[in-house]
Amino acid sequence: MISPRVLRNLKKEFRSSHLAKLGLVLVVAVLLVAAFAPLVAPHNPTAQNLDQSKLPPVGFAQTSTETTSKMVNGSIQTVENTTVIEPDLAHPLGTDGLGRDMLSRVIYGARTSLMVGVLGTLLAVLIGVPVGLVAGYYGGSVDDALMRVADISLAFPSLVLAIALIGLWGRATYSIPDPFVVAGLTPAMPEASTLPVTVVVVVGLVNWVWFARVARGEALSLRSEEYVKAARALGASDGRIIWRHVLPNAVTPIIVLGTVQIAAIILLESSLSFLGFSGTTLSWGFDISQGRDYVSSGQWWIATMPGLAIMLSVIGINLLGDWLRDALDPDIEGEGGA
Amino acid sequence: MSQRTESERSLDSETLLSVRNLSTRFFTEEGQVNASESVSFDVRDNEVLGIVGESGSGKSVTALSLIDLIESPGRVTGGEVWYREPDLAEEFRARDGVSVEGDHVDLRTVPESVRRALRGPSFSMIFQDPMSSFNPSITVGEQIAEAVEVQRRARANPRSTRSRTQGYGFARYLVDTLVPGRGYVTESSKERAIELLEQVGIPDPAERADEYPSQFSGGMLQRAMIAQALAGEPDLLVADEPTTALDVTIQAQILNLLRDIQAERGMSIILITHDLGVIARMSDRINVMYAGEVVERGRLEDIFENPVHPYTQGLLGSIPDLQNPQPRLQPIEGNVPSLFDSEMGDGCYFADRCPKAMKSCLEKPPQRPVEGSEEHTAKCVLADRSYDPSEAISGEEVHE
Repeated sequence: MISPRVLRNLKKEFRSSHLAKLGLVLVVAVLLVAAFAPLVAPHNPTAQNLDQSKLPPVGFAQTSTETTSKMVNGSIQTVENTTVIEPDLAHPLGTDGLGRDMLSRVIYGARTSLMVGVLGTLLAVLIGVPVGLVAGYYGGSVDDALMRVADISLAFPSLVLAIALIGLWGRATYSIPDPFVVAGLTPAMPEASTLPVTVVVVVGLVNWVWFARVARGEALSLRSEEYVKAARALGASDGRIIWRHVLPNAVTPIIVLGTVQIAAIILLESSLSFLGFSGTTLSWGFDISQGRDYVSSGQWWIATMPGLAIMLSVIGINLLGDWLRDALDPDIEGEGGA
Repeated sequence: MSQRTESERSLDSETLLSVRNLSTRFFTEEGQVNASESVSFDVRDNEVLGIVGESGSGKSVTALSLIDLIESPGRVTGGEVWYREPDLAEEFRARDGVSVEGDHVDLRTVPESVRRALRGPSFSMIFQDPMSSFNPSITVGEQIAEAVEVQRRARANPRSTRSRTQGYGFARYLVDTLVPGRGYVTESSKERAIELLEQVGIPDPAERADEYPSQFSGGMLQRAMIAQALAGEPDLLVADEPTTALDVTIQAQILNLLRDIQAERGMSIILITHDLGVIARMSDRINVMYAGEVVERGRLEDIFENPVHPYTQGLLGSIPDLQNPQPRLQPIEGNVPSLFDSEMGDGCYFADRCPKAMKSCLEKPPQRPVEGSEEHTAKCVLADRSYDPSEAISGEEVHE
């Protein structure tokens, strides 16, 4: 699995690829920001301040023109009052309609997205990989049965399936206490992060199929390997063979798929939050849906800032996935690799 | 019918394994393939039994059926595999559905878990291609040590079938690998693996044990595979084309090694090959297979000095003779027949390629004893008569 050769390939590929470096920088940045959100965020992301609502981001002074009509001497006069809203350096990315700091919200939103992305992918792996390995290893009717189930769940559009499941189960959430607040380091910050449990379960259930398919394909080719036959000839059980001989050799494409799936699940979570299904009010998708109302009235940043955050983290994770694929895929291994 | 007398022959105490009428079929979408048909043979203690035949003659299928490793869509459809194991015989003597005769148990009738438990300590197998027979992501030493460990744990509690399969199970394995401080493979198994590597002639075994299969050469890996197969100290080693993938000098080394180990441990070997040179060098007795059947069997000298079946004669005729070089070798005309059930005729399967086909070959010949040696039999009308050109038929006539 993680042999010196793999590490060497990873390093070689990393040195030669600027995109891989960019991806790693983005992902590490998002991870750090999410982990140390209470220390990084300048304000409490949930604190409202109506006096300072709709402040624009630094560098984007907003002129708003207010037109008032007055009846003067029997005729209508329009008076235009132009006010300039200056950005406040305390809110570098501006504030939303309720005066909450956008930067802090984007920083905290990373927590929700990453938690859902990683846990949802983990769940999908835990369901999909065993199903795929069993289907591929045993073949025959077991394979047919499991893969038909997979095909059926693939036939549903994932967003529709997700909404249906959330409608069925409701929006369960779980509060994770923030260690920095518990330790008393950042008393002004929210005490807990909300993990939208239903969303995690739903994205796991929607995305397991991809892992099942990849794992099945690998198991299908690995089961006819001579060393699997040799292990059986030595008395190994099916479980042992799958665990010891099939899984480790199937792990590379699963890792690569996993990174891509984290990005896909972050997008799915944002879509669900945007539609109001997530159960947490501190997420990128939720902020975009809030900001949507303000776009037409000129406060574009409320929707754009979380959108940019989604874009950068998804790009970062995908670039990282490309790097892993190029480095781990034995097909393009070797001296003159692409 | 002589086949009946064959299966009625009693099991004597020197017979380690007796295979009777073992048939394996593959049920493909194109039809049923009779890969091996009513194959019978005995393996005695401390002997090398050679199985020889062309590609596609059912040699490997027979070996895999024997230790129950046939994969779907193939299935063992009939026959008996009597194996001498007094403890097992005792355990199953009164059990319904299990055939026991003296110290022998018919392995086709015992539960699958028992058959699996026998793989390793009783039968072991080495395969043709050493390069692909090791998991590329685990070191060679660890793979051998794991085989040692499995057998050691199985042996620690040999009483009942249930406990005999302990230590093989997945749940136990998970606990051992996931709980810290409970590594599955113990130090003594690792040492044993290094010992085994040393026995099969790998230099610096302690260092080589920590290397991955990709760092080994083909010959070294074949040695390592033999070491792994010996981990359970099997009574019977099935060697399926053990030297085919190796170059000639390494072949000789591996064959000598197998011979030495066989003599030293007193185990039996079933050697499967298409190479008559290998057979001549290694075997005590020989089965010649054609189209899924054993067509001739006998001791080494019976087959090489007095071959009766025209197929065996053909095989021997296609070896270059260094003493009397011929301008051309005498190959057997034609190809191995289709093994699809629908396309196999009623007569002798070799008749259409046989230079000595006669009218009586249109009926299936039984296995008949050949005069001059009590162990020599052939599935051919020529076993007890001589060729009569007046009855000759051609290949085309056979097809009609």
